[in-house]
Amino acid sequence: MGQQISLALRESMHRALVKLASFLPGLLALLVVVVVLTLVGALLALALRRILTALKFDERFAGDQATNVADWAPRHSPTVLIARTAFWACVLLGLLIGVSAFDASFAGNSQVSAVLIPYLTHSAGAVLILIAGSVIARFLARSVLIGAVNLQMHYARFLSLGVKWLVLVLAAAMALDHLDIGGTIVDLAFGILFGGIVLTLALAIGLGSRDLVSRSLEKSSDARPTAIRPAPGSPPAAEDPNDESAAAARPKPTGTLRHF
Amino acid sequence: MATTPTINEQTTPAATSTVATPGLLVSLSPLAPDSLAAMLANLAAAFPEQDLLVATPDGTPSAPASAARLQLISYTPPAPTSTTWVLTAADYLNTYKLADEHHATACLLLGPEAQSLAPDALRALASAVLDHHADLVTPYYSLGPHDGLVNSAVLYPVTRALFAARPRFPLAVDLAFSPRMAERLAVAAQRQTAAGQNSALIWPVAEAAAASLAIAEVPAGPRALPPPNAADLNSLLAQVAGSLFADVDAKAAFWQRARLAYPPRPNLHPAQPPAPGSRTESATSAAEQQAPDVAPMLDSFRLAFANLHEIWSLVLPPNSLLGLKKLSLLSADTFRMPDALWARIVYDFILAWRLRTLNRGHLLGALTPLYLAWVASHLLQTAPGAPDYLAPETHIQNLAAAFEADKPYLVSRWRWPDRFNP
Repeated sequence: MGQQISLALRESMHRALVKLASFLPGLLALLVVVVVLTLVGALLALALRRILTALKFDERFAGDQATNVADWAPRHSPTVLIARTAFWACVLLGLLIGVSAFDASFAGNSQVSAVLIPYLTHSAGAVLILIAGSVIARFLARSVLIGAVNLQMHYARFLSLGVKWLVLVLAAAMALDHLDIGGTIVDLAFGILFGGIVLTLALAIGLGSRDLVSRSLEKSSDARPTAIRPAPGSPPAAEDPNDESAAAARPKPTGTLRHF
Repeated sequence: MATTPTINEQTTPAATSTVATPGLLVSLSPLAPDSLAAMLANLAAAFPEQDLLVATPDGTPSAPASAARLQLISYTPPAPTSTTWVLTAADYLNTYKLADEHHATACLLLGPEAQSLAPDALRALASAVLDHHADLVTPYYSLGPHDGLVNSAVLYPVTRALFAARPRFPLAVDLAFSPRMAERLAVAAQRQTAAGQNSALIWPVAEAAAASLAIAEVPAGPRALPPPNAADLNSLLAQVAGSLFADVDAKAAFWQRARLAYPPRPNLHPAQPPAPGSRTESATSAAEQQAPDVAPMLDSFRLAFANLHEIWSLVLPPNSLLGLKKLSLLSADTFRMPDALWARIVYDFILAWRLRTLNRGHLLGALTPLYLAWVASHLLQTAPGAPDYLAPETHIQNLAAAFEADKPYLVSRWRWPDRFNP
């Protein structure tokens, strides 16, 4: 019986070692491909950066007065963005090729690449969605913050955080949906969370903007011209538009500022 | 050393000066019929002995009996603009095309509400071009102490410091210029209209300085300023300041070399009474006695400091942030923004515009509360009865001198943004 146990153990160890031996070349191929294409990506990014700098790509791109990429990611010039995009594209390509090489060199009929490659592409898409969501969230948060401060809203920072988390939650839900993770649980949780944030913001705006609304109503009622009643017993005098003395005698608004 | 030749004369128009040389083109903005009639009457009074070519986009007007020497032409603006309160690229392009078509020897471009200009002012503007051979003539309006605050805070100091040009109103609504100046302005305007931006602003003083053309300034008396299209200060300030910053960015090669053509005037002492007849001091009036309420502006600044500190820290160095922090803790009685601090803030925002430290729309939005803080400080310091009272124009001139003194900081950070990055 001891011999049978040792024989079974030796056979299982042999099978594991054979599996490992057949697995290692594929893994090595994967690593080599990823490293090689990462180096290629780095060289390509460097070359692109030098070429675009020599062509003054940033200045020509910025010549367009309309909103461009630099307005969304102002710290990074278009040249840097293009170079980084090229680099990460090469890394992603290396991963895809590496997975194919891993699958090809892996003995057996297992369709690893048929499962992994679509998942890798979906993962890349999810990462892009998260990055775009982060950029948009930061942009909108700043826009709301500055706009609310200029409107003298005291809850400007709260409003800005709410908008930021709205966008981030939306981006995260889209990324999870893209990866087919969670299913209806994620959809339900997103709906509850998103609706809760929107309701909170609506209450905050509704309750907090009462002063703003009353101020705007006061301004609109002050702008209406008030009729000047003649003194009792005196006939109403016709106003001569060319009479400068009458214009000077009319009460002028005091304390008015003209910024332009 | 690049210098800007100026004709810094205060032209006193004679009552019966005659400008014998023909070829003056007067380009008018769209005016109401009664305003147009008043405008034509003023032109006839200003140039009684001269044939004028008056171009107006208002149909086919008829000249009044007193304006027999006015030749009225109606034209359809080839480059229409939606901005009607300030001269835009389309206005300069339209004027140049008319001047070129009719071989005008001088152009008088008058903005909205130009009928409020006195005939003497119109004559002085034209005379400076025709008789004194200036290429660009800007008017010096007699405005109230609470008018044109953006011009006083940003436009005039920046233009004076960077372009070594002293016109008090760089974005004047009325101008006179020579044909070569008209061509230069048209070239600048063409770049904007070709991109579909007919309403873009052009900076004629900067254009003239960069081209080393002669600039003059004449007193124009009081003028009714047209109200801006939008009532929102934030959008207007973003439009004007953004355009100025872009122009400064485009002309960096010039202003980094330009020097003052004359030594700067020393700062006037506080509480110095205005010199009689001086054009730099406005008469004390009832409006000056009643200063606007600065409390909302102070509240806006303090709210902005609490909420926008992180955004300002991306643009301003620690010294400026410390100065703003101290300012936010001051009461209304002692709220004074030092001229050097405001100059440094404006320069840092110009740098941030160039370096795209943050989104340009956000950058200009973050400037508004700082501008309101300056306005509050200016109003408090120029209010009669203030312990450190300064006449409004004295304060503005001191501010411009501070901008000139701090110009080396802007040049250094412009050339080596990484080395001097706060």
